[in-house]
Amino acid sequence: MQNERIHILLAEDDEDDRLFFSDAFEEIKIKTIIKMVNDGVELMNYLSQPDIVLPNILFLDLNMPRKTGIDCLKEIKEIDRFKDMAIAIYSTSSSEEDIEETFVKGANVYIKKPSDFSALKKILSEVITINFQYQTSGLNRDNFILNL
Amino acid sequence: MNFKNFLSSSFLIKSVFIGSLVILIFISSVSYKHTLVITDLAELVTHSYEVRIELEQLNSRLTDAESAKQGYMLSKDSIFFKAFNNAHAKVNKSFFKLNQLAANNLRQQNNLDSLYGLINFRFENLSDSFKETPDTSHQAITLKKNLRDGKKLMDKIHIQIQNMINLEIIYLHERQKKYENEISFTPIFTFLVFLFSLIVFVFSYFKINENLFILKKANKQLIITTESFKQAEEIANISSWYWDLELNLLVYSDNLYRLLGCEPQSFKPSIKKFLEFVHPSDIHLIIQGDEEVVNDNKPPTAIFRVIRKDGELRYFKSIGKVLIDKNGKKTLIGINSDVTEQYLSNVSLEERNQELERTNKELASFNHVASHDLQEPLRKIQTFISRIAEKEVLNMSETGKDYFSRIHTAVDRMRILINDLLLFSSTNKIEKIFEPTDFNVLLENVQQELAQAIEDKNAVIEAGNLPTLNVIPFQIQQLFTNLIGNSLKYSKPNVVPVVKIRSELIIAKDYPILKMDTTKKYYKISFTDNGLGFEQEYAENIFILFRRLHHVKEYPGTGIGLSICKKIVENHAGFIEAEGNLGIGSTFTVFFPA
Repeated sequence: MQNERIHILLAEDDEDDRLFFSDAFEEIKIKTIIKMVNDGVELMNYLSQPDIVLPNILFLDLNMPRKTGIDCLKEIKEIDRFKDMAIAIYSTSSSEEDIEETFVKGANVYIKKPSDFSALKKILSEVITINFQYQTSGLNRDNFILNL
Repeated sequence: MNFKNFLSSSFLIKSVFIGSLVILIFISSVSYKHTLVITDLAELVTHSYEVRIELEQLNSRLTDAESAKQGYMLSKDSIFFKAFNNAHAKVNKSFFKLNQLAANNLRQQNNLDSLYGLINFRFENLSDSFKETPDTSHQAITLKKNLRDGKKLMDKIHIQIQNMINLEIIYLHERQKKYENEISFTPIFTFLVFLFSLIVFVFSYFKINENLFILKKANKQLIITTESFKQAEEIANISSWYWDLELNLLVYSDNLYRLLGCEPQSFKPSIKKFLEFVHPSDIHLIIQGDEEVVNDNKPPTAIFRVIRKDGELRYFKSIGKVLIDKNGKKTLIGINSDVTEQYLSNVSLEERNQELERTNKELASFNHVASHDLQEPLRKIQTFISRIAEKEVLNMSETGKDYFSRIHTAVDRMRILINDLLLFSSTNKIEKIFEPTDFNVLLENVQQELAQAIEDKNAVIEAGNLPTLNVIPFQIQQLFTNLIGNSLKYSKPNVVPVVKIRSELIIAKDYPILKMDTTKKYYKISFTDNGLGFEQEYAENIFILFRRLHHVKEYPGTGIGLSICKKIVENHAGFIEAEGNLGIGSTFTVFFPA
């Protein structure tokens, strides 16, 4: 397990955020393979390819052009092939509506983008070490939002 | 006096009238009978006199006959014979009359019969004496005997007559006594009739007068009501009508004509005529309404346009009601009112409302932009700052480091501002669910939330018993947190902060801030501290968004906390006021409707 790389997929339209994301993973001492897509449409196109390795965790930004994160979440949850893929919402918003909706639609965890780089590193490393297989069984509203 | 009383009074009058009539008839008949008795008695008295007179006449005629006979015997003159015959006829006549008079009296009849026998006998004797020749001696003896017998018979006759007269005198006395007895009642009867009639008349007079007064009053009231209704119709721009569906009779009040711009009762009301005034596009509303009334008894209610006689366009509102009597006869009554002003102001109000809603939405989206979208670049700036602080700061000059740290502080402050702004705008946005909440429990939560600050400052929170009210719990908790948090934040250095929380039930009119002159009840909850306080002139300003009384360096803050408090209190239809005393402390008071 230690040697097995974790496949991570990030759907994020903002270039800076993608930079922070990749920088953070570079500094985290966990072996990961990161794939990035620029928006929702690109994400769905990517996932629909049959020959790809499905990511262990999908980081999903909510506010994206064309297809929003919520739309993507809904589509993914309807497809059986993606049922083992953990979905972490990765957003600037901390509005009740967004949290409620993504929780109901089946996201595994909700991360509010931190404004501090070391906080970002910490939260990301925490997310990828959660064993979502167990987490899903005890899914509840209280541990949905990941706080540091 | 109401209508029911009036009815019962007319019933009373009827019964009194019938009663009086019965009593009057009774008294009158008794009186009539009494009069009859008196008349009878009077007749009887007269009768007695008549009998007496007749008897005396009989007596004197008998004497006449006797003296005529004696005259004849002495003179043999035929004139005496004539006188005798004459007296005889008169005696017979008297007898006949007496017979008639005594017809109803058996005793007198019997007396009369024996008298008749005696007289008859006497006359036979007398008549015989005229035939005899009285010149012989034998005859003289016979004559003497005859005269004696005649005298005896005459005496008997006289006694009999006298007896009869005496009897009649007794009768007369009896009758007179009876008559006097009876007649003494007459004035009483007359007086009774008079008195009773007088009572009835007086009672009737007063009753009629009273009823007349009531009628007059009712009539006056009716006139006033009718007049004031007419006036009210004119003033309020309303009018009434009724429509007898059976007779197809339509009646309009005067003001309906006026509302249509016509002279009152200037035309005969009809649906057709009315429709001439209705705006062509709205005619279907009226027709449809009428059909619904006739078929479904559904009362018509419609707002439609009317073109008045002078061409002005007005908006009418019609409300009707179907009345069905026990025979199934339908009558429609209704009110037509001119609602042009209300309608137009309603329309403009609605327009303004929509505009307001639009503006509100824009404001909300502006808020969203300001808080959410501003956060994006800010967060990035902060992240970049943290990256530079971590990696690059060692390469900077001292001035550069100073500037960089100032940038850091400024950005952090901006972050706080945006967060508070977001909190402020969400106070309005989030769904408001009111539930009965125990404020004591909320206060406990707040104390837990502020545990660190309370501990740091060694603060004392003294709370009385708080009420349970129907509120949005998390908002009230936020309110308490902000108020107590403020007291802790603006506490005096080296003095143990004490926050006293008191609650009492008050009446609105006792507190000018509630701007109500009613006895509506409110809960007044006050938070009093022994902190820095403030000058009273700022008491109102502190609730304004971003208003602060202290420099950021001394006391960090955004000036949003109390604005949020105000908004929360307003969400609960309550009030908040602040009272400051520089250097002594401050009191924040909130009022919630009880």
